[in-house]
Amino acid sequence: MNIHGLQRNFCSAPTTLLPVQLPTRMESHLCGDELQKRALLARALVRTTIARYTNDRVDPRSLNFKKNGYGKPEVEWQIADDWQPPALQFNISHTSSLIACGVTVDSPIGIDVEEKQRKLKHHILAFARRYFSSHEVEHLTSISDIEIQRQQFIKLWTLKEAYVKALGRGFSASPFKTFTIQLKAAAKRGIYLSRDVESEISEISVDSLGSENLTNNWQFLLLELAGSHYAAICMQKHNTLGGKGNVPIKLTARRTIPLVEDECVLGTSAVVPISGLTF
Amino acid sequence: MASLAQASTALSTSCKPTLQALSSRVSSLKSVSFSITGKRFPSLSSRPGRLQVSCSAKPETLNKVCDIVKKQLALPDTTAVTAGSKFTELGADSLDTVEIVMGLEEEFGISVEEDSAQTIATVQDAADLIEKLVEKKA
Repeated sequence: MNIHGLQRNFCSAPTTLLPVQLPTRMESHLCGDELQKRALLARALVRTTIARYTNDRVDPRSLNFKKNGYGKPEVEWQIADDWQPPALQFNISHTSSLIACGVTVDSPIGIDVEEKQRKLKHHILAFARRYFSSHEVEHLTSISDIEIQRQQFIKLWTLKEAYVKALGRGFSASPFKTFTIQLKAAAKRGIYLSRDVESEISEISVDSLGSENLTNNWQFLLLELAGSHYAAICMQKHNTLGGKGNVPIKLTARRTIPLVEDECVLGTSAVVPISGLTF
Repeated sequence: MASLAQASTALSTSCKPTLQALSSRVSSLKSVSFSITGKRFPSLSSRPGRLQVSCSAKPETLNKVCDIVKKQLALPDTTAVTAGSKFTELGADSLDTVEIVMGLEEEFGISVEEDSAQTIATVQDAADLIEKLVEKKA
């Protein structure tokens, strides 16, 4: 599974990731031209990313897209006699300063990114009581530090969005109140940046309250991107092991300016795993 | 008065309004206003690319919605927010949209179901839905 992130305020030195001065809340609302530019960038990112994983056999410009019955975009492969297209699935998400595209082979995927510093206009618990499940409200209420509570809220929000986007049936098919995302702490030994790290990497799970949605075949990752964003990724597991535990995922992450620059940033400070991931 | 979002050169509606003074500048404008005599017609569902004609929401409702949207998105007063303004075009992402809906619920004392919330794309959509829900409550 690969994530490509495009930062709009990109600095010209590709070898170091310079800190990005995030725009203020007022500046970060894009209007008119800026929105068009962002839409263009998002399209370019999706096209170049998918083309790359056809081993460059397909020209990004020639890709066709369609929407599933609920409006989720998908690739519409052209039928060719001599070539079987890879079963690529993708999803994108953007904020005003970052566009992320996740690609998988043969697995529905949902991705959502959000600025770490995002603040709500409403009180967090009031918002959660209105839209989140009771377990999630309980979890947020139990956090006494308001900054940590806000961060956990944003993480939950992105995870919930990613799940609904992965399901691909629109938000009304899976209202946020009807499922609970849990981050369970599990002390695991992880290898990160070639150092052995004893860290508490938590596992993320989803429980659907009383619906037929199968919830044990969805796997989640939560990452910090570029020091400025949370990214939640949800994908379907291919269960050959009978449903228990997470299937290892091969993850690549690249920071990209479509057609201009492209660098692998996995293992750098640009991609920091938070939950659901052990190397 | 009714406002026409996403004017196209071919008009098609399900009823036959009498158009007065349809401006010749229609094709170059993003939105057009024209007077309609004849009976009120219901609002059609608004999807991108489809004609949306609606004349059911009161101006006060529209204004309140505009205020809530401006506040949520922290838009400067100079930004034009009209009935036809799309939330996404004003820079709202999914979290903003949910906060806007929540703000509308609080302001008008209504409860918006998830599937109704999904159909709200513009200020007009929101105002129409609010009036429908307020009416149901009464």
